[in-house]
Amino acid sequence: MGTDRAQVLPAPRVRAAGHRRLGVTAWRLIALGMILGAWHVASIPAGALLLPSPLAVAPQFVALLRSGELLAATASSLTVLFSGYSLAILTGVSLGVLMGGIRPFGETLEIFVHAMNSTPRVAFIPLIVLWFGLGIKAKVVIVWLTAVFPILINTYVGVQNTDWGLIEAARSFGARQSQVFRHIMLPSALPYVVTGLRIGAALAVIGTVVAELYTALTGLGHLLALFGNTFQTAKYFVPVVTLLLIGTAISESLKALERRAARWKSTTVEF
Amino acid sequence: MTTIPKIDVRAVGKWFGRGDQGQAAGIEVLRDVTFAVMPGEFVCLVGPSGCGKTTLLRMMSGLIPIDRGQILIDGTRPPVPGPHAGFVFQSYRLLPWRTVLDNVRFPLEIQGKDAAEQRQRAATYIRMVGLAGFEQRYPHELSGGMQQRVGLARALAMGPEILFMDEPFAALDAQTREFMQIALSRIWEANRVTVVFVTHSLDEALFLADRVILMRPRPGAVEEVLAVPLPRPRWTYDFHARSEFVALRAHLWERIRRMVADQPEFAWLLGGPGDDEAHGQLRPV
Ligand SMILES: Nc1ncnc2c1ncn2[C@@H]1O[C@H](COP(=O)(O)OP(=O)(O)OP(=O)(O)O)[C@@H](O)[C@H]1O
Ligand SMILES: [Mg+2]
Repeated sequence: MGTDRAQVLPAPRVRAAGHRRLGVTAWRLIALGMILGAWHVASIPAGALLLPSPLAVAPQFVALLRSGELLAATASSLTVLFSGYSLAILTGVSLGVLMGGIRPFGETLEIFVHAMNSTPRVAFIPLIVLWFGLGIKAKVVIVWLTAVFPILINTYVGVQNTDWGLIEAARSFGARQSQVFRHIMLPSALPYVVTGLRIGAALAVIGTVVAELYTALTGLGHLLALFGNTFQTAKYFVPVVTLLLIGTAISESLKALERRAARWKSTTVEF
Repeated sequence: MTTIPKIDVRAVGKWFGRGDQGQAAGIEVLRDVTFAVMPGEFVCLVGPSGCGKTTLLRMMSGLIPIDRGQILIDGTRPPVPGPHAGFVFQSYRLLPWRTVLDNVRFPLEIQGKDAAEQRQRAATYIRMVGLAGFEQRYPHELSGGMQQRVGLARALAMGPEILFMDEPFAALDAQTREFMQIALSRIWEANRVTVVFVTHSLDEALFLADRVILMRPRPGAVEEVLAVPLPRPRWTYDFHARSEFVALRAHLWERIRRMVADQPEFAWLLGGPGDDEAHGQLRPV
């Protein structure tokens, strides 16, 4: 079989991709520098009240970090964020799998899911407060409600889009329905699920701040309200930047997961 | 000497789209199909598109229910999908997220074989189809011919008694296809599994088969069963030059041409009844 080697596509060029990634990182740092520079320049005519320079924000960041205030607030926010988000993953993925795997069940619930997904979740906050109070329970429910639908819908679509031919192949080897679920439907839905998780994560961060502002003031939301209402603008930017960092960290780690989940797709190999 | 057929198809009928409205509402796809496949025999099913070859294969493997008649495996049991019967599909149907090794292992995993045995058997059959060294590749990294050899290895690794193959080489280029036909013949000569092979290529059918079953459409039924009395192994001599091959091929070709000509939508092409002015110039002189 001398020709076989020639027929194989070239192996993914990991080294080249590595170099490129380094290049992108460098460019990103340059872009960050330019944004900070523009911010600084804009802050000169605007004044410290309207737009403090990043040079004024940085010491506040350090100060709040030193006092422990920032860490405590971040820890409290992350607790709410991850509780709600985990709950959303657990319920979203299981319900999505069931809806995708059991046709009539999915077809029945689909319309309700889409109805909920297109209703602004803020509309439910007074009800949630009424039912769960102002404490952490209510906050977790709010985060869950903001994040669950993209996860559910993506999982559902992923399972639904399973190649029917693969299911028949598995059945021809004697696979039981549960094995078809586990070995065919779930892995083929995985890239969709991870995309859902990424969208859900971004929404969960939003949900966390909304929850902290609309119920008892805690965490980073509390800092936002505190510094915002008292016009301590330089300090106000500290929780904002922290939220930015949290969002980026989550989204980047999920992107890495997404690449892994779809590594068998030819499209991921080509770049 | 065994006289019990491996697969006994008895007066089988099939309807589609019947719903609850009785047989009249659906399409009769197969009617009164009867034939037997003996243990270790290589049978090819040929016939015009839509005559129910795939449907028949699905029923023989227990993937879809039989509406009329019955199919018996080993003369006793109705078909049920499982390790005793391997399936090879035209579109390969490999799991794209699994490597070659893990694809071939898959049916063994389903059966709950222990990991060591899975690996060892998968490796054996990967070698048999000439893919040693490609165990860790993903399907999209392989050519079509290689993917189909993975499909073949996957079916063989289960240790099946029957192999169902539905136009397995139809998507391959002519050269790869010929290579695959020889590879399959070699493997079959070595382990004599019972094969039911669907193809549209008369050359392929005559090269591979002990017997060719010709089917007719609307509703699908057996038209004729032909023995292929050419000596094996057939890749060792100029098979296509043999007078038996030429005669059988001409006979089958003529039968299929007539069947197609009997269908109104193709009649104009072949100058049968029903052609019209507009297509007049296509009529053979
Ligand atoms: N699931 C189904 N529902 C309704 N009709 C079907 C179904 N499967 C097959 N048919 C019909 O049954 C007939 C036979 O189909 P089948 O796929 O068995 O033909 P075939 O001989 O394999 O054709 P080809 O050579 O094109 O593969 C066709 O008319 C097809 O439209
Ligand atoms: Mg077919």
